[in-house]
Amino acid sequence: MKNFSRRDCLQAMAAAAGMSALAMPCMSLAAQNLVVNTYGGRWEKFWRSDLMPMFMKTAGVQTTLDVGLGKNFVANLRAAGVEKPPYSILMVNENIASLVRAEGYFEPIPAAKVPNLANVYPILRNPGDNGVRGIVSTIGIGYRKDLVKTPPKSWSDLWSNPEFKGKIGLYQIGNTAAMLFLLMTAKLYGGSQDAIDRAFAEIKKLLPFTQADWSGTLSTMLTRGDVTVAVIDFPEIVALQKKGVPVEMVLPTEGVLAFEQSFNVLKNAPAKEEAYKYLDFILRADVQEMMAREFFTSPTHMGSKLPPDLARDVPVSGERMKSIFQFDWAKVNPQVAAITDRWNREMK
Amino acid sequence: MSAVMTADAPGAAAQRDGSKPRKAGKRGPGSGAFWLIAPALVLIGVFLVLPYLNIIGMSLRTTAVGAPYGAGFTLANYASALGDRYVLGVLADTLLLGVTTVPICLLLGYPVAYHLARTRSRWGSLLYVLVLSPLLVGVVVRSFGWLILLSGNGVINRTLIDLGLLTTGLQLMNNRLGVTIALVHVFLPFMILPLVGVIQSIDPTLEQAARSLGASRLKVFWRLVLPMSWPGIQAGTILVFVLTLSAYVTPVMLGGAQVKTMSVLVVQNLIDNFQWPAGAAQALVLSACGMVAVWLYARLTGRFMKGLQ
Repeated sequence: MKNFSRRDCLQAMAAAAGMSALAMPCMSLAAQNLVVNTYGGRWEKFWRSDLMPMFMKTAGVQTTLDVGLGKNFVANLRAAGVEKPPYSILMVNENIASLVRAEGYFEPIPAAKVPNLANVYPILRNPGDNGVRGIVSTIGIGYRKDLVKTPPKSWSDLWSNPEFKGKIGLYQIGNTAAMLFLLMTAKLYGGSQDAIDRAFAEIKKLLPFTQADWSGTLSTMLTRGDVTVAVIDFPEIVALQKKGVPVEMVLPTEGVLAFEQSFNVLKNAPAKEEAYKYLDFILRADVQEMMAREFFTSPTHMGSKLPPDLARDVPVSGERMKSIFQFDWAKVNPQVAAITDRWNREMK
Repeated sequence: MSAVMTADAPGAAAQRDGSKPRKAGKRGPGSGAFWLIAPALVLIGVFLVLPYLNIIGMSLRTTAVGAPYGAGFTLANYASALGDRYVLGVLADTLLLGVTTVPICLLLGYPVAYHLARTRSRWGSLLYVLVLSPLLVGVVVRSFGWLILLSGNGVINRTLIDLGLLTTGLQLMNNRLGVTIALVHVFLPFMILPLVGVIQSIDPTLEQAARSLGASRLKVFWRLVLPMSWPGIQAGTILVFVLTLSAYVTPVMLGGAQVKTMSVLVVQNLIDNFQWPAGAAQALVLSACGMVAVWLYARLTGRFMKGLQ
């Protein structure tokens, strides 16, 4: 065997140094590459064709898109652990974000790093800026204009209008919208979101109602007239209107519910600075307007202005953002399993 | 009888080599066969056995809020799965759904399989495509199709009402009926395909011989074709049963709140509630029940098949 001389050693070290020098650019690129998550379908398309190219141009950050469901992202996160998260910033429904927040994955967002945070409606900013609701899709009542004689005006009409008996469409309890509806019922009839027993008693009075697993099913039921009134997100109603289905949306007098996309920066983010840039981009007034045009979401930037044609399709914006019901998910999360179980047993 | 021929092939090859025919079951790392199946074993080990062990481990963890699972180990998840009348009811419903879907698939599938196996028509391959067609469309799209057909104001009810046959619509979905209809549609190919293979391997001259000896068509079917197609019936019924137990999308979309199956509960616990330990325990209870049912069934039907080997 050949002796390992000092020259060999130097050569080996030089070679190693050369290799690492070669590897350097890739590595720094890797650190800059931001993993951005979004949902499938139209969301993925919009992220790929509009948002990502625009963000890359303005911020100079390379991005990789991770497409899935909110609950998959959480599974990925848990599989990787708090120390080595696969994301730097995560977008999920606020109720899910709250659960992960309790597990210690996120950290507060410094307002100095994300200037647009100051322009977000205060009710959408979490305490201590630990997460911000950056995209909002409001939920109210949708009904068939041709099949309903007295249009609903408030949530309580679901209970009091006899026309709706047996014709109401709700979401199944696994969907965030059903949980929102339950918590709102608790607030309206029991005085606080903790009045879960009261909410169950009230919702039981609505039986029999149809329970849809997701919005597509609810839209189909409305289109077919199997249900004439539904607790449904407004963008879904607008999509039906564009297809010529005679449906109308109602902003209930008590307030509206909302699917709130919560943006959270990971405590051990692999690309934290890039994550701040991305969040600031998402919260920009013009980006919020772009999303409103694409998804009929309500802009979360206080300076966003919707043109009249769009304002018709996005019923909640500006001053009306205050009418979105707010819930303390940290208090609800420990009860979710019990609530789901009870709903399974009682709501049929 | 091609099936029997292939089963004999390895032994025959060994004899041609001049070596002694090896007994089945004695295949150590020295034999070629072992190395042939090694990649499959690795695959099964990594992607089936390891995840299963992981699920078993998860099912024994304690529940926690603010973490995927708690620190200690417990049997409580099994106790709450097996000690709860609601969960047991859902389990029984799931098994019952399997037990009803299987015979319907068999009754509908057998004549089709027989025809496919015996046809000499040039449209035979088109028939194959028709049989496979439910598998060519995604399960969500298929279930949507059934939703439009079966709902209260769906195509079927509207047609019956417009024809004056009914005054109010029938309840065709959001119940066991709707789920069963859609499941039969989806799983029919899994019954037909194994049957076709087995029926094709029954020599048609056997039927001709029986007929020429005076047996009626019915008798030929009852005494000859049906007993000889048992391997296909067994394979098809087990496939459909197992697939029905694990079906998720169809029960969720067509069952509404009325039909809950174990898979729906498991997904609710794992995905919606993030209760991984409870969901894992329920999943294992379901697969254990499925395995016991299949084992019992295979033992019972094995008796019918003894004469065939």
